[in-house]
Parts: sequence; C-alpha cells; structure tokens
Amino acid sequence: MVAGVAAFVAWLGASIIVLGDGRRALALGVVFATAGMAVIAWQNAGTAAGVAIAAGGAIAAARRAVSGPDGWRIMPPGSTPRLVLCIASGLVVLWIAAAVTTGPGASLRFTVMLVAGLMGARVLAGEDPPVLLTATSVLALAVALPAAMGDGSVGPWPYVAAAVIAGTIGWLPLRTASAA
Amino acid sequence: MPSAAVLGPVVLPLLAALVVAVFGLAGMNLGRLAAAIGAWGSAAALVAVWLPVRSSLELLLGQLGYGSSLDLRVDGVSFVFGLMIVVPAALLLTLQPRTWPEAAVSLLAVASAMAAVEAGGVVLTAIAGGPAATLAVILLDTEDPRASRPSWSLLLAGWLALSWVGVVLQVEGGTAVYSAVPLTAVTSPVFTLLAASAILVSGLFPWRSWPTRLWARPSLRAAGITLATLYPLGFYLLVRAYELGNGRYPHPAFNVVLALLGLAAAVVAAARAQAVASRREFLGEVIPGMGGFALTAIALGTPLGLVAGLVLLGTAAAFVACLALLPDRAGLAPLVTIAAAVGLPPGLVFGSRALGIEATFEAGDFLGLIGVASAAAWAMWMVGGARAIGLPGGRGHPASETFPRIAMVIAAVTMVAGPALAAIQLGLANPVAADVMQASAGSLSGGLTSVVTVSSSLPVVTLFVPLLGMVVLFYAVTNMSAIHTQARPPIFTLPTPRLLDRARAAIRSAAVPEQYRTVLSVRELEAAAAGGRPVLWLAALIALAFAVTR
Amino acid sequence: MQPDSAVLIGLAAAALAFAVIFTPLATSRRALLFKGGTGLAGSAAIAAVPSFDLSLLILLALGVLHASIEGPRAFAVRLRAPVVAVATMAIALVFAHAQGSDAVQRFAAVGLVAGLAAAVGLLPYMHPLEPDEPMTSSPIPWIAFVGPVLAAVVVFRAQQLLGQDAGGVFGGLLIGLGLLNIAWGSVSAWLTESEVAAWRYSFVADWGLVLCGFGVTLADGGRAALLVLFSIIVGRLPLYIASRQALRDRSVAQRPINYLVAGALAGSAPFVGFVARILLLRAATQLYWPLALALALGMLLWLPGSLRLGRSLAVPRGRQAIGVSLVLALNVAAGLYPLPILLAARL
Repeated sequence: MVAGVAAFVAWLGASIIVLGDGRRALALGVVFATAGMAVIAWQNAGTAAGVAIAAGGAIAAARRAVSGPDGWRIMPPGSTPRLVLCIASGLVVLWIAAAVTTGPGASLRFTVMLVAGLMGARVLAGEDPPVLLTATSVLALAVALPAAMGDGSVGPWPYVAAAVIAGTIGWLPLRTASAA
Repeated sequence: MPSAAVLGPVVLPLLAALVVAVFGLAGMNLGRLAAAIGAWGSAAALVAVWLPVRSSLELLLGQLGYGSSLDLRVDGVSFVFGLMIVVPAALLLTLQPRTWPEAAVSLLAVASAMAAVEAGGVVLTAIAGGPAATLAVILLDTEDPRASRPSWSLLLAGWLALSWVGVVLQVEGGTAVYSAVPLTAVTSPVFTLLAASAILVSGLFPWRSWPTRLWARPSLRAAGITLATLYPLGFYLLVRAYELGNGRYPHPAFNVVLALLGLAAAVVAAARAQAVASRREFLGEVIPGMGGFALTAIALGTPLGLVAGLVLLGTAAAFVACLALLPDRAGLAPLVTIAAAVGLPPGLVFGSRALGIEATFEAGDFLGLIGVASAAAWAMWMVGGARAIGLPGGRGHPASETFPRIAMVIAAVTMVAGPALAAIQLGLANPVAADVMQASAGSLSGGLTSVVTVSSSLPVVTLFVPLLGMVVLFYAVTNMSAIHTQARPPIFTLPTPRLLDRARAAIRSAAVPEQYRTVLSVRELEAAAAGGRPVLWLAALIALAFAVTR
Repeated sequence: MQPDSAVLIGLAAAALAFAVIFTPLATSRRALLFKGGTGLAGSAAIAAVPSFDLSLLILLALGVLHASIEGPRAFAVRLRAPVVAVATMAIALVFAHAQGSDAVQRFAAVGLVAGLAAAVGLLPYMHPLEPDEPMTSSPIPWIAFVGPVLAAVVVFRAQQLLGQDAGGVFGGLLIGLGLLNIAWGSVSAWLTESEVAAWRYSFVADWGLVLCGFGVTLADGGRAALLVLFSIIVGRLPLYIASRQALRDRSVAQRPINYLVAGALAGSAPFVGFVARILLLRAATQLYWPLALALALGMLLWLPGSLRLGRSLAVPRGRQAIGVSLVLALNVAAGLYPLPILLAARL
C-alpha cells in the first residue's frame, strides 16, 4: 500500500515536471517525485538510501525554487500532448510493471521506468535549461533506484552519488549558445 | 646458414629506405646510390640464402596476435619470385634518377613485395602484399596525379580477399601456413576467392587494365617499379595455390577457367597490339600479353606448364626493366626489343611459349585446344610486332630516364639466353615445381641441354644455338640502313573501346528520376539521420523492441 | 576494472596527451587538458565503479558537464543524447532484473544497445554536428574518447545481466546496428559535403566494426573490437585533431603523407585496422560466413572516404608532422604486432 502510494506520488511529481514550465511547478514536481522515490528507496534498500534520495531531491528542489522562469506555468498552451503522455505512460508502465514483469518490487519497477521515461521525454522535448536540469536531476535519482534490484553489495553508494549529482546539477553555470 | 638470414632480402631495402629518408629530411639526396645498394643488397641476400643449400630455409618467431606466427622462408618459389621482383626494381633504381621520397617509397615497396613472397602463410602474405599495393599507388600519384594508375580499391579488395582466404584456412584447417594447410580445407569456394584475389592483385583481366595503361604515363619511373613489385604477386598466389592443394587445384574446372582467362588476356592484348598507333602503345601490351601466356601455362596444372609459365614470367620481369629504360625513338634498341618480345627464335620468349603450348597438348582434352588458340595468338603478336617496327615511337620520355643501350642489352640477353632454357628450367623453375607439385615434379628431366617431358624431348641447345648463329649471321650481313619501315594498317580493330566508352557515358549520365530525388537525396537523408530528431530516436527504439519480439 | 577497459583508458590518456601537445589550433592547452582530463576521469570512473547504476550516474554527470561547455549547439541539443542513453539503459536495467517472459530480458538487450548507441552517437542516434564547433564541445569526445570505455563496460555488464537468449539478441542487435553504421558511415564519409562531417562519419563507420566485433561473441570478435577501438583512439582521433587547422583553412593536399594517412584510415595493411579486420572476418566466418561476406564487402567502402580525409589533412608541418608520423608509426607497430595489446587486455 505504502509502495503503491509512493509510486503514485512519484508519478505525480514527474507529471508536474513534464507539464510545468515555471520554477514553482518544477520545484513542486521535484518535491513530489523525490518523496515518492525516497519512500521506494527506503523500502527496498534501507534508510540510508531513502535519506540520500530525499536529501538530493530536496537540494534540487530548493535550487529550482529560486532560479528559473517565474511562477507556475503549469499546462501552458500546447501542452495537451504532454498531458496525454503523462497519462498514457502511467498506464502503459503500470501494465508493464504489474503484468508483463512479475515478481516483487512492482512499485520499484513502475517508479524507475516511469520517472526515467518521463524525464527522458522531457529532455527530448524541452529547450529551457532550468527545465532540462530539473529533469536531469530527477532522472539521476531514478537511475539509482535499480541498485535495490541487485544483490545490494554496493551499499548506499549509488543513492549517495545520485543525490550528489541531483543536488549539484542545478548550480551548473550555463551560457547561451555562442554565435556560429 | 642461420635462419635469420631470410630477413636480409626484406630488411636491407627497409634500412636503405630509412637511410634515404633520414638524409633526405636533412636536405641531402643520396641519389641512386643508396637505393641501388638497398635493392641489389636484397637481391644478393636472396641469392646468398638460396644458392648454398638450394632448399627451404625458414625463420619462425613467436605469435603475432592474429593466429599467425612471424614465419618467413626462402624456398624455390620465393627465390624465383623474389628475383622477378627485386632484379628489375634494382636495375631501375640504379639507373633512373629519383627524388629521395620516390626512392624511399620504391624501396619500401620492394621490401613489402619481398616480404609477401617470403611469408610462410596466406595471412602474412596478405599483410605484406597490401602495403606493396598502397606504396605503388603513392608512388604513381606522387609522380603524376593526373596519369593513370591502378584502382586502389581493386588492389585492396584483392588483398582483403586473400586475407579472408587466410582466415578461412585458419578456421577450417587450423593453419594458413602454405606447407601445413590440410587438403580438406582448400575447398572450391576458398580457391575461388584466392583466384579472384590473384586476378585483382595483378590486374589479370582480358580488358585493358593497369599493366597496359601504366606504360602510357609521361614518365616510367614509378610505372616500372609498380610493375616489378606488384605484377608477379598474383602469379605467386596461383603458384602457391598448388602447394596448398598438394600439387593441384581443387577442381579441374579451375585449371580450365584460369587457362582460358590467361588465353583471353593474351589474345585481346595481341588484338590491341596489332592495332595500335605508336610503338609505345605496342610495347605497353607486351607485359599483359606475356602475363596472359604465363597464366595459361601455369594454370594447366602440369609441371611442364608451370615451368614454362615461370620462365615466361621471369622473362617478362626482365622486360619490365627493359621497357622502362627504352626511349620512344627509332633505332636498334626498339627493334631488338620488339623481336625479343614477340617471341622470335631462339629467345627465351620463344622457348617458353613453345614449352607452354606443348604443355597444353600434353595435358590433353580441351586444354589442347587452348594450345592451338595460343599459337594463333602468338602469330598475331608476330604480326603486331612487325607492324610496330614501322610505327611512330610515341610521346617520348625524359631522356634522363632512358638508357637505350641497356634496354637493348636486356632484350638481347633474353634472345641469346634461349639456348640456356634447359639450364634455366633445371636451376630455377624445377625447384619451384618440386616445391609445389611434389607428386608429379619428377616427370620433368633433361639436364642442361634439353627439356625432356612425358611425351617429348626438346633439345634446346642443339636447336637454338644454330638458330642463334643464323640470327647473328643475318644481322651481320644485312644492311640495316637500307631497311625503310612504314606504318601498315592493322588487320582489324577491336570495337570494344567504343562500346565501353558508350557504356561509361551512359552510366555517368544516369540520374535518379525527378520524383524520387527527395527520397534519395543524400543531403535530405543525412539531415534526417543526423538531425537528432526525437521522433526518429523513439521510432528506432520502438522498432528495435518490436524486432526482438518476433 | 576489466583489463580491456584499463587498456582503453590508457589509450585515451595517450590520446589526450597527443591532443594537448599537438593541437594545431590556438586553443588554451590548459583548458583542453582540464576538459579532457575530466572526460578521462569520468571514463575511468565509469569503468572502475562496482555497479552499473553508478556507471550510468557518472555517464549522466559527464553528459551534463559536456553539454554545458560553451559551443554553438544549444545546451538542450547536447544534453539529449546522454540523457536518452542513461534513461534507456536504466529502464533496461529494470527489465534485466525483472522476472517474466523471455521478451522482458530481450527488452533489456534493446535498451542496452540503444543506450550505448545514443551515448556514443551512432545511427540511429547520431548527435547533431556543427561543422565550426570546437572539438571539445562537439560529439567527437563521445565517439572517440568516452565511448570506447563505455562500450567495453556496457558489453561486460550485459554479459553479466542477460541470460543466454537475451545475450544472443544483444549480440544480434549489435551486429545489425554495426552493419548499418558501417554502410551509412562509410558512404556518408565519402559523399557528405562537409569535411568535418566526413570525419565524424568515418568514426561512425569504424564503430560499426566495433559493434560487429562485440556482437560476434567469440574471442576473435572481442579482439577485433579492441583493435578497432585502438585504431579509433590512437589513429583516427589524433589524425582528426591534426587536421583541424587544415579543415578551418579548407586546404587540401595530395602528397605521400596524405596517402599514408588515407591508408591508415581505410584500414589497409600494415596498419592496425587491417589486422582488426582480419580478426573480425575470422570471427564472422566461424559464426556465419555470409556475415563475413557482408563485412568484407562493407570494408571496401572505406577507401573513397579515407582518400578524402587524407587530403583534408593538407601538408602537416613542424610539430604536426611529428605528431602525424608518430601516430602512423604506432598504428603500423600495432598492426604488425598486436599481441602485446591483446595480452594487456587479457584477450
């Protein structure tokens, strides 16, 4: 039950990131996605993993909340395809995680595939650096989650590394493209 | 003799190339001296390795990393082909002036070709022969980028095909060493690939290819080296193929097909030669013509045929040097050269062609008909040669590159050496037959004065010496200044050049129909593929996922 | 760290040293060293970390850092490929660990192959290229510097993660993509209008051989792939660096050195590319001889593009000439005697 809710929250967060262009929406999306992924990580890999994910996501959200386009800008004009993507991907991934693939950890599978897929799509379709960096931060956190599916011999290091990357990406100084 | 001595023929020209390059970069052109030392040193080393023992000497070092060891050996085959490569090259490097880069590249080409014939296995031959082709292209293009040269793609295709033969032998037979490949590994497809490689490497086509076109270049410095180093290598592969097959090709059909190919090359060269407009053009057909006859003889699959082919090839190697040194003006030198090249008795060309034709009759069946056709082609060469004497010389070459007396001496030597045919066969060609056709090599005998085969005996000395005497006598009593040559019309002209030109023009003018240009436009396709479009990326991912579920 | 990855990292370090010493353009050597060193450190980290998740995270970090380098292409454009690569491979990781039908593991194979192609910049995931772009911000570091190490790691991890059926699919996909890249890369290197694009496509063509080598899961295939990667890092990349000034000046030349360079780029003997091709043909012949035929025919397509690239080097002078000579000599040495490289990689 908890895992299911966490997975839903992660989906919600990822969807907000996909649908929102303003820094508040992005930050909120990061918060939700992080919360969901932190719970998933805590359940599957232990407290250290959950704390690392949460910390990384929190730093990324905090950074995004103060830098980037003003306001929310959730579902701006022309964002219907993005909405369709969020819903359709949620359903498809749910089916894959629950029916096509079997065994324990369906929530983990759902979360990783969905968040990675949506963040990848966001980067593919986006142009704004703050949006891209946000999506990349969340992607980093999602990439660490499959470590729980292995034998666990690497400990919390994937989660720590993901947290570091997610937390620092937002501070990257970016210049606009130089003239050719 | 220590086995490391087999490195001599390869290392000496390499060292000479290094010395030439170092001094050249320092601003000092060592001229012909260093090049001559390197090339003649290689020849001397080859002779020094072979002559004392006259049996195989092998150097086997460790594995190289691709299934082959560093395996070099000097046996009868590599000795004969080594001489064919290095002696004309040495002569040209000694006499013709070159810039130091040309000299260095020429020496590297000689070293590569020598390494190719000394290599103990197919893969190593391919690795050594490939650079020879590359260096030849470099030499030709550096000298004159606008003049014709062999297609680099075709040459590389030939060596790549040979390397594939090598790896197939390694996979199927466990080794690609010539003397160790099991007979079962040499299948018809493998041999087809090897034969194709040989044909590509030496340009053994029945149409006008690079062995002919090179002679039309304004300068013959690079052309001579190219022909000396590259042309024998295809024949070398076909001779080694006998060793792979324990004395024969996998199927008699290969003998017939290759013999026919050689015949076609010789006939078409003869047909072109008798219709040319200048003496230089005629002489340009000499090497392909001789090569065609040599291929016919070698492909017969009998020791006599092999011997005849090798003698003819060796003579062709001498003519490479001769033709590169011959100027395009009238005189005694071109007269003697043409007489020797067309096979007037008692020259080596005459003797070896006679042996070759006899070999076809001994082989019997369909191959006998090939002998008849060879004789007809020979007659056409005679006619062409007689006509060529009266033709204008050609465009001419820089005087500093031509040495008419030396060219004449070379041609004259091939004429005078006719009576020594038996000795040459005994000393040079028979060891090759013994190496590659062990089972049937004993069918040839005769000693220094005659060639004795299964069904006949050719008393070479007895027949050729009086002929030589007569030739000398006729020359002495004839007033050469009274002879006025004139250009005679050809017997016939081949329509193929016009047909080929039309076909080439048609291909060049071909274009994609207007309505399909956007689909097949390179620029559009490139923009679509390299544009980084997300739709394409997603579609590719879905397509891959779909493909794996089938 | 796997021995082959260690060898590739060593080679990449040598290539970086070459770039710093011999770069013809008026770029800051310090900046080049810093950026290249970062890439090298990242590559080493990708190979050294104990789990694939960490490798993906480092790859993502490298991707972001590379995308943030100043250049004419937008940040968004440069970020896409590494993000898609990481996302795809992360999803593949999930499929690899998940239970289910055979198709699940096959999807993992698809994800790994697609992710690798996207990271390196191969067809159908080629990175957009701006001809006037500085090399450090261009797709070249991916295809010639980080990509080789990444490929070795991905192939190694795939062997650990995938079962027999999915392993076969993985190999088949690599071969299929490999043949596609051979054809596309070699023809495009010949026909494309831009010289810089021609160089990039030549890398793509070589990578086609690498993919085929990895896909043919025999020892000779791995050896062939390693030697082709050697030729990319120690041959093609340094020669591309040496040609940068001439590409800017749009000068060409047809001297012996240009032909030698063309021969090296075309994989003709005695350069290391030829030996790699021999090993690949041997592996393909053992597996399925029509594949060897297709490869042999594809190998013939290298020459026209290589002749063009050889000319685009113009006439190297001074330090450039020394650098080019060194590269050619190393390639000849490796071509004649590749055993030490293979032994170092335990192949």
